[in-house]
Amino acid sequence: MKDRHLSLNQTQRVRLEAALHELQSLAPAAASAAAVTVADTIPVNQEDNILKGHGTSDQDGEVVATLCGVVERVNKLVYVRTLKARYKPEVGDIIVGRVIEIAPKRWRLEINFSQDAVLMLSSMNLPDGIQRRRTAVDELNMRSIFEENDVICAEVRGFQHDGSLHLQARSEKYGKLERGQLLMVPPYLVKRKKQHFHHLEQYNVDLILGCNGFIWVGEHVVVGEKTKTTGGQQRFSTEAENFTPLETRKHICRLANAVRVLSALGFTLIVELIIETMEASVSSNVEINDMLGAEFYVQTAEREAKRRADLLRKKNGASSREGQLLMVPPYLVKKKQHFHHLEQYNVDLILGCNGFIWVCDMNYVAWEICNSLARLYEYLISQAIECPSQSVQVTNTFVKNLWRGFMRVPCAK
Amino acid sequence: MVGLSEGEKHFIRGGITQDLRTDGRKRLQFRALSVQTGVIPQANGSARVRLGATEIIASVKAELGKPSILHPDKGKVSIFVDCSPTAEPMFEGRGSEELSAELSVSLQRCLLGGKSGAGAAIDLSSLIVVEGKVCWDLYIDGLVVSSDGNLLDALAAAIKVALSDTGIPKVNVSVNAASDEEPEVDVSDEEFLQFDTSSVPVIITLTKVGRHYIVDANSEEESQMSSAVSVSVNRHGQICGLTKRGGAGLDPSVIFDMISVAKHVSQQFISLLDSEIAAAEAEEAEC
Repeated sequence: MKDRHLSLNQTQRVRLEAALHELQSLAPAAASAAAVTVADTIPVNQEDNILKGHGTSDQDGEVVATLCGVVERVNKLVYVRTLKARYKPEVGDIIVGRVIEIAPKRWRLEINFSQDAVLMLSSMNLPDGIQRRRTAVDELNMRSIFEENDVICAEVRGFQHDGSLHLQARSEKYGKLERGQLLMVPPYLVKRKKQHFHHLEQYNVDLILGCNGFIWVGEHVVVGEKTKTTGGQQRFSTEAENFTPLETRKHICRLANAVRVLSALGFTLIVELIIETMEASVSSNVEINDMLGAEFYVQTAEREAKRRADLLRKKNGASSREGQLLMVPPYLVKKKQHFHHLEQYNVDLILGCNGFIWVCDMNYVAWEICNSLARLYEYLISQAIECPSQSVQVTNTFVKNLWRGFMRVPCAK
Repeated sequence: MVGLSEGEKHFIRGGITQDLRTDGRKRLQFRALSVQTGVIPQANGSARVRLGATEIIASVKAELGKPSILHPDKGKVSIFVDCSPTAEPMFEGRGSEELSAELSVSLQRCLLGGKSGAGAAIDLSSLIVVEGKVCWDLYIDGLVVSSDGNLLDALAAAIKVALSDTGIPKVNVSVNAASDEEPEVDVSDEEFLQFDTSSVPVIITLTKVGRHYIVDANSEEESQMSSAVSVSVNRHGQICGLTKRGGAGLDPSVIFDMISVAKHVSQQFISLLDSEIAAAEAEEAEC
């Protein structure tokens, strides 16, 4: 993706710097600690036999970085991993590639890797769908399946002994991609998730996040139509009727611009984030091509900083909620309402069916009450053990009733 | 240059027909323009223009020389374009010769007028120092740093900005020189004459894809073009030059239509460029 330069005026520059500064402060401290630039010394325990990996070199007995990146340590290996490196494939990755050559019984694809990936004819479903041995006629008709410069979605099958990459496209969801546009972003921005195919129903758009940094945004194609043999020229002869409808095209352009802005800012590409950026542009009435302008760029950075700050606050809020876990015999907890928020004491009470009971406070003031409630349960347990015949059913009303009475009973510590 | 699949080409053509291009622009909209002046301090004038992802650096150097015998009252201007390998790997070595030559010739035709010097954008008689003996030679160089389509428009804009940034040193001619001797000239280091670039034209390239024309095509859209007409228009709406590229033939009525569209678009572009130049100069004055 070619770098776009944005001319920011003074206020925009100030706002952008503030947003980026906030994002940097929110990032986990460990990540920034391990970053090195060229000629930085890597702290290494001299007694161990450290294996010096990629990106390091020995200078006067010290291990010095020769690349800018993050220091990774694996057992005795120390190496520097760059951020904007080429794509590193793993088996099972979903990638989007472009055919550059048709070779005997295979297609060669460009996938932003150090070598071209190979898609064997046998790893591809035949157009008629029958599972059979590939004959010489099939080999001659390869061009009718995929031509040069076609954009294909496939999965990494594995590596060969010589290091070349093999792909497979046997499923219905893989195959040729048409009616859309291909975007190229740095591969490190696309993290490996469970799902890479996203069908956005509300927009009728397919969004495919290839792990190699190739992102396809296009009109939704019903699965199963992809591997049909295209008549090539005949399909597009009735062009005017065949164009993507304008509404869908607007959504495609907006999503593509959202991806471009996010990749220019260096944010990890997650579907929710892309959709959120796109909806923010619609709600603030930004023209589609103005999404690539300076103002929206700064706004997106600010929005992301705010979102991450909120997330961190919520997480911190959740973990500072102190409470106690109590373990009671499971038969004491019957299947009733299990989540109880005791308003009057501002305490959360969760009665797990497995006998684990969680009591925690909503704010610090109620800590005393929470503590007392925990002791109440301990008392109950001790009671139950002493008199097993009177099995005490731990329910909310019982607790409340006992609580009112408990205040007068000396608590069993 | 990355190839495009049939599906992608179809998508691009559809977008142009529906007036919504792949990055959301309308057919007659330019990409974001950013201008910087004074990027090369050793040159008399320089500029860096970014149009989307296309980046051009233009520089103007002035040297004292002898006017040609045919035109003793006019200075000389020569324009040359070079494509850097940082733009495309195929520009390395002699790969860019053809493209550079084509761009240089188009620019010369648009900016320098005919053989007699008539219709030139730059007033060549303002470059004369001593008639018949000493004149200023302007060497205008354009460097394509990053190429994403629409090189000609960006080059013309860069040259216009560089000329507005150019300062020709004031020359003091010693009065006691005999008429057939070489006069002594004293080139001042302090005083400079600014160029008047209000009459320098800009070039608008209209790329025809299907039945519609688009302005400021990026390299993907350019790969789809059937033909392209570059019209050079100045502030007064006069046409200073015309270049047609591409293999497809064009009906004359289509060409007239394209010229009128180009004239209309050029007025907006000229005012945008002027405001950018003013902003860049103001910023430079602040520093």
